[in-house]
Amino acid sequence: MPVDTKRIRGPEESQSPLFFLSPDKAPKASSRQGVRGNGEVRPMFARCGLISQAKGSAYLEAGNTKIICSVYGPREIERKDETDMKSGRLVCDFRLAPFSCSKRGAWIQGSEERDLSQTLLESLQPGVCLHRYPRSQIEVNVMVLENDGSILAHAVTCASMALADGGIEMYDVVLGCTLRQNGNTCLVDPSYSEECGSWQEGYGENQGCVTVALLPNLNQVSGLNADGEMREDTLADAVRTCMDGCHKLYPVLQQAVTRAVKKKAPPPEKYTFTCHSPQVLF
Amino acid sequence: MSPMKLCVPGERLCSTEDCIPGNGTYLRHGSIFASLAGYVLRKNEGEELPVISVVRETEAQLLPDVGAIVTCKVTSINPRFAKVHILYVGSTPLKDRFRGTIRREDVRATEKDKVETYKSFRPGDIVLAKVISLGDVQSNYLLTTAENELGVVVAHSEAGAQMVPISWCEMQCPRTHAKEFRKVARVQPEYLQA
Repeated sequence: MPVDTKRIRGPEESQSPLFFLSPDKAPKASSRQGVRGNGEVRPMFARCGLISQAKGSAYLEAGNTKIICSVYGPREIERKDETDMKSGRLVCDFRLAPFSCSKRGAWIQGSEERDLSQTLLESLQPGVCLHRYPRSQIEVNVMVLENDGSILAHAVTCASMALADGGIEMYDVVLGCTLRQNGNTCLVDPSYSEECGSWQEGYGENQGCVTVALLPNLNQVSGLNADGEMREDTLADAVRTCMDGCHKLYPVLQQAVTRAVKKKAPPPEKYTFTCHSPQVLF
Repeated sequence: MSPMKLCVPGERLCSTEDCIPGNGTYLRHGSIFASLAGYVLRKNEGEELPVISVVRETEAQLLPDVGAIVTCKVTSINPRFAKVHILYVGSTPLKDRFRGTIRREDVRATEKDKVETYKSFRPGDIVLAKVISLGDVQSNYLLTTAENELGVVVAHSEAGAQMVPISWCEMQCPRTHAKEFRKVARVQPEYLQA
């Protein structure tokens, strides 16, 4: 496990100032009331095409969660495999910026980030037409600038927007949605404090988090990530609620991608000339 | 002209009874879906059904395909083969370089065993070649120059000046008038400036 040797840590006796903060009061049930209901996703802001060097890029904001994604490719693969001859490879890199959480993280990818990268890869792979890019690899780099809950789901959505913006052929875009099951209430698209919950609730029944990645037009689930302890029927309901949440996000994604296409180039007027049948030209 | 329709990947465009799928689309369950984000274009090709395709203004990233003419730059030579970087596929520049190999027996069509790579290519030459294979696990793209129109297009002499082709196997430096051996491409007359 690589260790960060370049930063000077304080003297041996120093402790993190977070230990001295007064303990948070239990998150009030009213934290959502008046702003949004339990089943509503946060209003999302999305833009494509901001990173000029990358093939495709996208930026997404949902509440305070901010995620940016860039796509490079198709590029030549360095290490080749038998499977690479027929179809391309998708490489995903999920990173949390050190300033994204309240506790400072490291620039080096931790084991949790590697896990999330693998889940992101599994969710995106069914959506991309990899057989059209043999012997090549497409790189997807996701960076979370601020972590305010449901980062995996929003990363999936952001990565699909970047792939669409980069002109990578896809069967369908992939949308993600997270749900937090808290006893009998379920909160869709939880914020960071809602996702962690308080330590008192941790011992109750039906506590968990579910993330679903969905291909909306084909109605296929490409990724399912569940954490915690939930009953079977609760889990099934949670997955269905997440799928509904995903469908709600689709118009935002559509608007962001089409806006970027329009911005990159006006509609090809010259094609109207070649639309005519040959006899007209002579 | 009515504004062209935009689409995102996965949008259902029409059914197979109305159109034939073109670039940027795929077929599923009797319907045509878009696979790219761009403008939807319907073209009448002269057959019964129009061809529906999705276009993006930015040129689609072409991958070197079997049979494509590519422009490459020689990076290193070896008695058995020459290694090149593929720069252009047809007339489209590639954003990332792909690597290719021209084997000794693929340099010429005649007298394949008498070929000397040192007399056919040098590092830094720009070569027109054709892709014969995507290669297997270990190798890169396999290219050939065994045609009259394929071979060295631009080469610099040892003195540093750009050489002028004299015959299919020789080029001359305009400064020192020294002749050097290359496998020269016979460029089509329409591409030469009068």
